[in-house]
Amino acid sequence: MSGGTLSWQVEDRDGTRIVTPAGRVDESTATAFTERLIAEAGGARGKLVLDLSGVAYMSSRGLRALTLAQREGTQAGSTLVLAKPNETMREILAISRYDMIFKVADTIDEALAN
Amino acid sequence: MQVRFWGTRGSLPVAAKAMAVRDKIAVALVAANGRTFADETEACTYLEAELDFASAHSYGGATSCVEVDAGEGAFIVCDMGSGLREFGLDSLRRCAAEGHPREWHFFLSHLHWDHIMGFPFFVPAFIPGSKIVIHAGHSDAETALRRQQEEISFPVPFDWLKGDIEFRTLETGQDYRIGAVSVSLIEQHHSHLSYGFRFQDAAGTVAIFSTDSEHKIDKMEGEADVVEFFGGADLVVCDTMYSLADSVSMKEDWGHSSNIVAVDLCHEAAAKRLALFHHEPTYSDADIQRMHRESIRYEELTRGAAPLEVVCAYDGLVLEI
Repeated sequence: MSGGTLSWQVEDRDGTRIVTPAGRVDESTATAFTERLIAEAGGARGKLVLDLSGVAYMSSRGLRALTLAQREGTQAGSTLVLAKPNETMREILAISRYDMIFKVADTIDEALAN
Repeated sequence: MQVRFWGTRGSLPVAAKAMAVRDKIAVALVAANGRTFADETEACTYLEAELDFASAHSYGGATSCVEVDAGEGAFIVCDMGSGLREFGLDSLRRCAAEGHPREWHFFLSHLHWDHIMGFPFFVPAFIPGSKIVIHAGHSDAETALRRQQEEISFPVPFDWLKGDIEFRTLETGQDYRIGAVSVSLIEQHHSHLSYGFRFQDAAGTVAIFSTDSEHKIDKMEGEADVVEFFGGADLVVCDTMYSLADSVSMKEDWGHSSNIVAVDLCHEAAAKRLALFHHEPTYSDADIQRMHRESIRYEELTRGAAPLEVVCAYDGLVLEI
């Protein structure tokens, strides 16, 4: 189940940061994913968009990292928005009911508009 | 080894209401579409073959009580929820019919009401000659059991019980032997703590009983200990009361886990089978069945190597492992 490492792309668009990890968020990458996402949420202002288009799969540790990042963002005054999950991620978000506690946008534009 | 589920509900015993039974009958009649059946056996064959579990059955509503049967020696029972009443009667039947030793060893996950409420109705405790050993990680287990039989709560005082009742406090990091079965325990996060138990028989078959265990979102690094404890288990009975979203939001610190954390822990531990357990009392049979199906799907989506079989515990389920 090891996903090795995650690569990250970062873009600032109209004052909103968009972060795009790529790979699998599993037990081998979850800690690094958590630390990076919390750091991004703590530094964001207004909104942080997590582009999930490059995330093949995410275990419960990755999902819980989303919650930790959201809490960090709340302290810093930012909101985490999820965008462009693939079909697997969309299923995982539904099964975990994370689609009920996070805004999930189909496109980056939708995420930025919300 | 056999594992028998006498109570699988969490927090509070529940029972299907009249309308829920009526609705199941209506589903069965509509699905039968005018067919006739020669007798009840033929009708049951139809129900088993053509209806889903929630339509033709119920997951039950008794609280936590699970028997671990290694095939010889004393009875081994995890928790004393309301399912214990029925187990007590069945165990006496086995003593009479099969010559089973009149010795019961209990292992208590913790001392909350839903996990001890069956003991005042445990008939073997009233019978002289019964040997009952109550094992717990908690040193105050005896206080909890005596207290629930004080006059303000129950008409029969603990001291009126005629069985030979002994309490043993267990420690983590130790292996204990009950006949041919070795037992160890792990501390879990829950109000007033809870403990998970690992049972291993002489053939090396391993069953884990881990209920009322919250895997804290800010202590994920600590899950390595849980994975090691579950390691290579043939069966893990796991608290899957909430969705992950509930467990990290509104129901955080309520002391319970989710179906998908259970799947992940079992995957990491290379466990062979997971039994979803400690069902939310507000869930209907359809709700529990949906949670089971979603858990199976999550396992498929996240499977790395060997598949993990995900079963859903119900009152009366017997698993051969």
